[in-house]
Amino acid sequence: MSVKVEVIEGGIPHNKIMIAGVICTLLCIYLTYLNVVTKTEMFSFFGGLAVVAALIWGSHTIKVLCSYGIGTGVPSAGMIAFGSGVIAMLLATKFGILAPIVALVLAAIIGFILGYVSNNILNMKIPAMVQALTEMAVVGALSLMGFAALITGGFGFTGLTTKTVSYMGMSVMTHQESFLGGCLIAVAFLLGSIAIQHPFNATLGPGWKQDRMLMLTAECGFLSMIVAAIMSFALISASSAFISLIIAIIGWAYTYSEYMNMSKRDAAAWLDSKPIPDVEGH
Amino acid sequence: MSAVAAKPQAGGAMNPTAMAVGVVLTLILVGICYAVSPAIGLTTLIAVIIGGVLIGFGTHFVPVGGAPAAMGQAPGIATGVAMLAAGAGLAGLFGGAWAADQGVVIAVVTGGIGGGLMMAITCMMVNFVYVFGMGIPSASGKVAKDPITGDTQAEYKSQGTEGHGLPFISFVGGVIGGILGGAGGTLIYVALLHLYKVALPGMMGITAAQVLTIAVSTAGMFAVGLFLVNAVLTAYNITGTIEGPHDPKFKRWPRAIVASAVASALCGLVAVLIVVLPTMPM
Repeated sequence: MSVKVEVIEGGIPHNKIMIAGVICTLLCIYLTYLNVVTKTEMFSFFGGLAVVAALIWGSHTIKVLCSYGIGTGVPSAGMIAFGSGVIAMLLATKFGILAPIVALVLAAIIGFILGYVSNNILNMKIPAMVQALTEMAVVGALSLMGFAALITGGFGFTGLTTKTVSYMGMSVMTHQESFLGGCLIAVAFLLGSIAIQHPFNATLGPGWKQDRMLMLTAECGFLSMIVAAIMSFALISASSAFISLIIAIIGWAYTYSEYMNMSKRDAAAWLDSKPIPDVEGH
Repeated sequence: MSAVAAKPQAGGAMNPTAMAVGVVLTLILVGICYAVSPAIGLTTLIAVIIGGVLIGFGTHFVPVGGAPAAMGQAPGIATGVAMLAAGAGLAGLFGGAWAADQGVVIAVVTGGIGGGLMMAITCMMVNFVYVFGMGIPSASGKVAKDPITGDTQAEYKSQGTEGHGLPFISFVGGVIGGILGGAGGTLIYVALLHLYKVALPGMMGITAAQVLTIAVSTAGMFAVGLFLVNAVLTAYNITGTIEGPHDPKFKRWPRAIVASAVASALCGLVAVLIVVLPTMPM
């Protein structure tokens, strides 16, 4: 038995966002494969765009799920999304070029079983539960794969665990300076899980508007991408990392100003109050 | 009152069919693990399942108050189940990880103490804030007398609330929950670390010293992911707030045990498969 607190009124239907999210995310992750084709690292920034696309889809899924009062808080949804996603993503990296597809399928299986467990064994009986947990596991897995592609330039297991550095003219393999060995994945994990749960948590309520929430998600996604792009200076060439950083900053600045405009639009009354003036004689 | 009434009342009833499906599913997953990796993989998976069940069971002891507790209208710590379980469990996990070289028993005990200590400090500081900051006494609304101290509660309970503050039994419950959660998280980490230390060098063709950082990082990420999955599933079982072991909701723990076993078996199998499957080239 559950009470649905809000209904989606107007806006883009969820299925459309989901399909667009899957296609954009997979496409962007696969575009980072141009790094291998062209033997550069310039296309790593597509990983960050994949993260933004996946997060936009995921935050709308959280909205669908958390519209039913699940009683555990919105952040828990972000945590289970990335908790189940990281497990699928780590195994999927072993499948080479097929990795993003395998991540999608494997995460969907894990999410489906977790959804069954919550709905039937734990007796939640929420209609959207199974689909929402399935989608969120996929979002978590693909976002982490996007972060991996952004930071390392690739999404294969070897690329995530190994880095070749030239030391006095010789190329030496190092495992410490890598996405997994240096545990950059932990930072990516929290960057993503905070970015996915914050937007709905911040905008929920009677004045909820779909476009404002999705713009906030894009803003959070680009903010995470800035941090990840800075981290990528350690693992890919400086010029490639710089491209990612510039794109992230431009994206963030645009989405932030748009979000501020939407917030002012939706505010009941907005007054640009100046700082309290210093009056003489007080 | 409407906001309270709108909370989902996921029934306390068990669903025997779903529970049976859950048990069978767990056995099937263990069977698959036995087929692909009979020796070390199976022992790892069983340790992971035990750890997951400890986390799921331990979370029921933690006094979770949520938003009502922040307003002094319900007993417990004023945040969500997932946040508290993650805080206690990860503190224990970090504690236990330091002792990972000294054998399973010492590591698990250290992890338990780390989690328990974290919860003890949290509970104490929460009560400081309640008593000296908000000026409210500790009183339970679910029982007439504290089961441990025998103190009566009704005189201290404000009208219109479900109790407030952190009664002694909730404090003890929090520490027990932290111990179980920390020990469970550490058991998962130590088991996976052992598996990766043994299996990864052969799989990647590198020395044991080189593989150490990758093994630590991968085992840590899997442990964190499993921890969050189990904590959130338990949060779904509790649906909102719980006072501690004396709360009627505590009787729902069998459902959480089955749910945690299924989720841990599934995620643990994926964690084992990462060393079994061959790595495909990009």
